[in-house]
Amino acid sequence: MIDNTRSFRVKRVFGFGMMWVLLFFAALPTVWVLIMSFREQSVMFEAFWKSPLAVTLDNYLGITRSDFPKALLNSFICAGLSTLLAMIVGVPAGFALAKSRLSGKFYASWLLLLLRMAPPVGFVIPLFLLYVNAGLIDSYFGLIMAYMTLTLPLIVWSMWNSFAQVPDELIEAAIMDGASLGKAFLLVALPAARPGAVAAAILGFLIVWNDFFYALIITRSSTVTAPVAVMNFISYDSVDWGSIAVASIALTLPILPLMVIANRYIVQSLSGAVKG
Amino acid sequence: MTSSTHLKTRGRATAELEGGYRRMMLPAVFAVGLFAIIPLAGMLALSFSDYHLLRGTNWEFGLKNFVRLASDKRLMNSVYAMAILSFFGVATQVLIGAAIAVGLSKIVGRWRLGRVLFLLPYAVPHVAVALIWLSLFTPTLSPINAFFDIFGITVPSFLTTKNGALFAIVMADTWTNFPFTMLIILAALQGISPDLEEAAALDGATRVKTFFYITLPLLIPAFLMVTLFRFIDSLKHFPMIFVMTKGGPGRSTQATNYYAYIQTFQNSNVAYGAAIAVTLFVVAAFISFYVAKLNQRVTS
Repeated sequence: MIDNTRSFRVKRVFGFGMMWVLLFFAALPTVWVLIMSFREQSVMFEAFWKSPLAVTLDNYLGITRSDFPKALLNSFICAGLSTLLAMIVGVPAGFALAKSRLSGKFYASWLLLLLRMAPPVGFVIPLFLLYVNAGLIDSYFGLIMAYMTLTLPLIVWSMWNSFAQVPDELIEAAIMDGASLGKAFLLVALPAARPGAVAAAILGFLIVWNDFFYALIITRSSTVTAPVAVMNFISYDSVDWGSIAVASIALTLPILPLMVIANRYIVQSLSGAVKG
Repeated sequence: MTSSTHLKTRGRATAELEGGYRRMMLPAVFAVGLFAIIPLAGMLALSFSDYHLLRGTNWEFGLKNFVRLASDKRLMNSVYAMAILSFFGVATQVLIGAAIAVGLSKIVGRWRLGRVLFLLPYAVPHVAVALIWLSLFTPTLSPINAFFDIFGITVPSFLTTKNGALFAIVMADTWTNFPFTMLIILAALQGISPDLEEAAALDGATRVKTFFYITLPLLIPAFLMVTLFRFIDSLKHFPMIFVMTKGGPGRSTQATNYYAYIQTFQNSNVAYGAAIAVTLFVVAAFISFYVAKLNQRVTS
């Protein structure tokens, strides 16, 4: 190649250098939280290279004895069920929006986007008042229903994009062959859009798993989800950094495989416009 | 069968099909109405009311809250904080995400481990992100402070100054969200046909020139999309402010979404909080209209 010049090699070294700096920025907090999670309580405020051997599993053991595992379970229940419900309702709707010749489709896309973009405080204030009066504060039912406001627009939107990529001819052919619309959807369109459906479910799960605001307002002690329960390790006069580090890891690990599976679909699902 | 009856049966079949599609949408329409439209209508009604969490309501409706909004200095302060957080946060996320995407695709090549490592921060829930960065910005705890101490340099306490606290939130926000911009720009980069770049190279363009005149213009839709998506998300800032600064020092990091929370749940002024939420909602409506238009144009 013509490019094998000195200046090109300099640029290449510069490029690699930049990548290492960025990788350091990306990795530093992760490495730090791992270190913190193994540090003994008594040396937490010392530089870790001064007492590298003061490692312990106490922080991990302490977490298993706290209320945190139950909060993790709550997170699983809420994220799983609200995603499942939203999939049942949202996948057929995404299919119908992608394939029908309805005239108001632009407004449907606007509404879905708006619901995803609207400030959560707008949903939470009326829901809070409703729940206080209906006795739904700190109930699984109330929390799962509230999370539908997050999962449903996301799932309908991303399934709409997925089904749009399934060729119309495929469905038309099935209907020509005498299949009902429901059968064409279940047996032809859905298998063709399966990667998109998996991605939509993962994204739905992640958005609930990550939620802090809804849970902060409408849960108390019994249905509290993990992101809010972490705050219990911060008390008025002290912060239990070891436990916070372990809890942060526990919050991230379950969804890490989901992220790795979903990352190639995230792009397509979140923005139909940017075709990779 | 004549062609006109054929058309008629086809027309009937299409009508039946459209009916089927509508029935498939129905549960979602019902659910969106129940879970989204009703709460939003509730918010709108509250914003015109005088509802107070402790005092209740006298059922007086009017524009009082919006009049108060117009002259609320704390609201202006919150818009300023939100603008700073949004602008610097989105700008650095797009820059860093783009730099890594270009680096991964043009310089480093297929580097699987690198991709996974760069993706990792995106998987960390925001509360954990906020707590981790809170620890990095706590002078007595942070390894960064300890490291600079070796050389006798004292790193200032960021969270106790106005601009420092804003900077700290931008850092945490950037760290967890640059992988999103990276993913989208990487996908857009991979969508560009290599033929184009080869053709430019054959015509004698240098790699740098090819990048700036061929590749970059083709990335503009991806940049636009990613900027808009990140910008809208940045209007919803909450966990990082709640965990790292509680809106302080003073009110310097009280972004609008957080201010609405304070008014509603700390000052018990539900009606006024709802009015702020309505205002934010109107802003989101305008932006999402633009995004929907953009999406329609690019996909069709």
